[in-house]
Amino acid sequence: MSSDFLNMSRRSFLRTSALLSATAMTSSFAGAAFAQSVDFKPTSGETVYFRGWQFRTDVVQQNVDLYNKTFGGKVDYATVTGDYPAVMEKALIANENLDVLYANPSSAVRYNGGGWVLPASELPNGEEIANGLYPNIRDAWSVDGKLLGLSYFVSTRGCLEVFTKPFLAAGFTEEQLPTTWDELYDMVYVLKDKGVATPFLPHWFGEYFGISWAFVFEVMNRGGEVADAKTHEPKLTVDGPAGKTLAAWKKLWKSGLVPEEVFSYNEAGYIDAFRSGRYVFSPQQIYDLKTFNDKAQSGDVAGHVTLLSGKNQSWGLIDSALYVMTARKGRSEALTDDVKKFVNWYGYKDQDGKFFVADRWLKENMLFSGYKEVMESPQAREAVSTSLMRPEDYDRVLEVYSKTPYPKGIWNVVWSEEFNFWLREKLFAFLQQDLEAEAVINEANEKIVELNKRYKI
Amino acid sequence: MAHPDNSAPAPHRRTEVSNLSFALIISIPVLVFLLIVVAYPLAYAFYLSFNEIRFFGGYSADWVGLTNYANVLYDPSFWSSLGRTLRFTVETVILTLAIGLGLALILKHLPPGWRWLRALIILPWAVSPYGAGIFFAYLGRGQTGIGTSVAAALGSDQTFNLISANFVMEYLALGAAWNMAPLVAFFLLANMLTTPPRLYDLAKIDQMSHFETFWHVTLPPLRFTIFVFSCITTVLAMKTFDYIFTETQGGPGSASAVLTYTLYKISFVNLDLGYGAAMSFFLLAVILGSTGILYFIWGRKEERQ
Repeated sequence: MSSDFLNMSRRSFLRTSALLSATAMTSSFAGAAFAQSVDFKPTSGETVYFRGWQFRTDVVQQNVDLYNKTFGGKVDYATVTGDYPAVMEKALIANENLDVLYANPSSAVRYNGGGWVLPASELPNGEEIANGLYPNIRDAWSVDGKLLGLSYFVSTRGCLEVFTKPFLAAGFTEEQLPTTWDELYDMVYVLKDKGVATPFLPHWFGEYFGISWAFVFEVMNRGGEVADAKTHEPKLTVDGPAGKTLAAWKKLWKSGLVPEEVFSYNEAGYIDAFRSGRYVFSPQQIYDLKTFNDKAQSGDVAGHVTLLSGKNQSWGLIDSALYVMTARKGRSEALTDDVKKFVNWYGYKDQDGKFFVADRWLKENMLFSGYKEVMESPQAREAVSTSLMRPEDYDRVLEVYSKTPYPKGIWNVVWSEEFNFWLREKLFAFLQQDLEAEAVINEANEKIVELNKRYKI
Repeated sequence: MAHPDNSAPAPHRRTEVSNLSFALIISIPVLVFLLIVVAYPLAYAFYLSFNEIRFFGGYSADWVGLTNYANVLYDPSFWSSLGRTLRFTVETVILTLAIGLGLALILKHLPPGWRWLRALIILPWAVSPYGAGIFFAYLGRGQTGIGTSVAAALGSDQTFNLISANFVMEYLALGAAWNMAPLVAFFLLANMLTTPPRLYDLAKIDQMSHFETFWHVTLPPLRFTIFVFSCITTVLAMKTFDYIFTETQGGPGSASAVLTYTLYKISFVNLDLGYGAAMSFFLLAVILGSTGILYFIWGRKEERQ
């Protein structure tokens, strides 16, 4: 018990107690008011189809079961394998039974362009939901002022994580950890010279969010942009961040430090590679710090993985996902209402006015939320701190997270997925076929111009 | 006036249905079914191939004539994908038939107590191409693969990655053959078991070597089956998609981006359905052309014999 508390006067004690009681009552009134304003009970008797990619399907199923049990709902949850954005796009075109789905913002923008999305702004409490989001997240998830979906998670993909054991064993201290991309590459070669066989695992894997996103975030971390956020005009330059990124990549590839098999990893393979303990540095998801520091999941590296400071530059990019409602044709109004009720409960607050699903994601998987209220709660601090190598890393996590950029110029545009796929292949060719950096940059700019022209942007 | 009933009942003539008519009668339901499930999508794809299809900003189909077909011929990714498709097909057919034949020979000579293996050997064929892709992806990767396991067993700490740009097509062909060869083996074994044993007795009397016995006694009755499976495997290999998608996603880089993968990318990632449809007709032509060539240089010879 603190001495301040012991020295508290009776007046102060009464005042503090009154304040706490008032706060508690306000919270419960707010919760009760919310519960009264939002009705979650479905009425159509029809099935709501909810689809997502494969991540902690056990948790999602439990959440859905809880909703169904509590409100007598008929939500059917299933996962989708394969190339998720393309599979869902096909389902939307075919007007399949699909009411709620996970989507990255770029996909959501594209689906919206096809007229297949029912924006979250159309929920009865849409304005309140939008106001509860961090402004940069709300901006990233909105098109023409319409919020496209509700927060599933927000993360920093590409934050630089370090397996400290081999780094310290090579004779360095934590104060010598790199703080920029250039310093990082320099350190990689120093470690190589000191006999570390695989000092760096780059984000060059084969998924649609692999090598192409790696290029995008490194360009942004170095202060550049791929395309203008408003006009979507190309902005890559040979003597700017894009040129520097490609030059560093070519040098790294030619050094032989990166095995070719990285190109064919899926995300699981990429995570497995880092937690095998073979690598010192790697751009990873910020939430995977929990996985890497968990003894049960990552025996070799657990307790020894931290992240590089965001003091001198940003790391990675905002990787986020939304719960998006579809504008399925032929769906009855009653069913559409049920879809809205389910999404409201699942992607915002439950019947007690609590962020049940978002809080659970934060606690169990360190998935950050777009809602200020979730992220700024004491429970969030506790959940994140206990997931890290040491509690002090919490401030560093927040520092990196708060600086993470979002590539609006290439993601909030209908051709996003198309450009991403093109870029992925071009970057692989750049490394494997030894293409010139200048040619790649020029072609990327031309591709953006061509896409803008084709989609009349 | 009554007509005399002088017309004795004519003998009832049973009209025999010709073979052709009978074949047509039993084929009609199948033909109607094919018309519905094949002709309609094919015709619709043909229509799409002359249009530029847009989904964004409202659906639209703009007539572009033969432009899509012409663009395919000028598209370098088409030619490189076609090259990979042909390489994968040739390797898959050779490996499938060789492994299938080898398995059939082994199964034929199994001692009575081991013949249950004949049933077990079909299992790889029962694995879906999707599953086979995931299985071979794990088997081929340096960090989880068989090469690294073998090296570790021999005391080396080297990793061996089989999904390399230089020989990924061969590795894919090996996996496809693993999937298909058991079926080939089954049919060849059935064929082999119908060969009269006295032919082998005669071969012994003629003092034929093992190879001569195989070449002159075992192989001739199998040739038609081998031809049929060459055609089937050719078609299957050319249209393989899910196996390659799950195993390599067309990589590393684009090293295994065969024509079906490129088509997928154009049609379902870029949503350029018109161009994708045009390119798919080139794939159809390649499949029909390959099987046609096989028939003209091999099939007709087998039929005559």
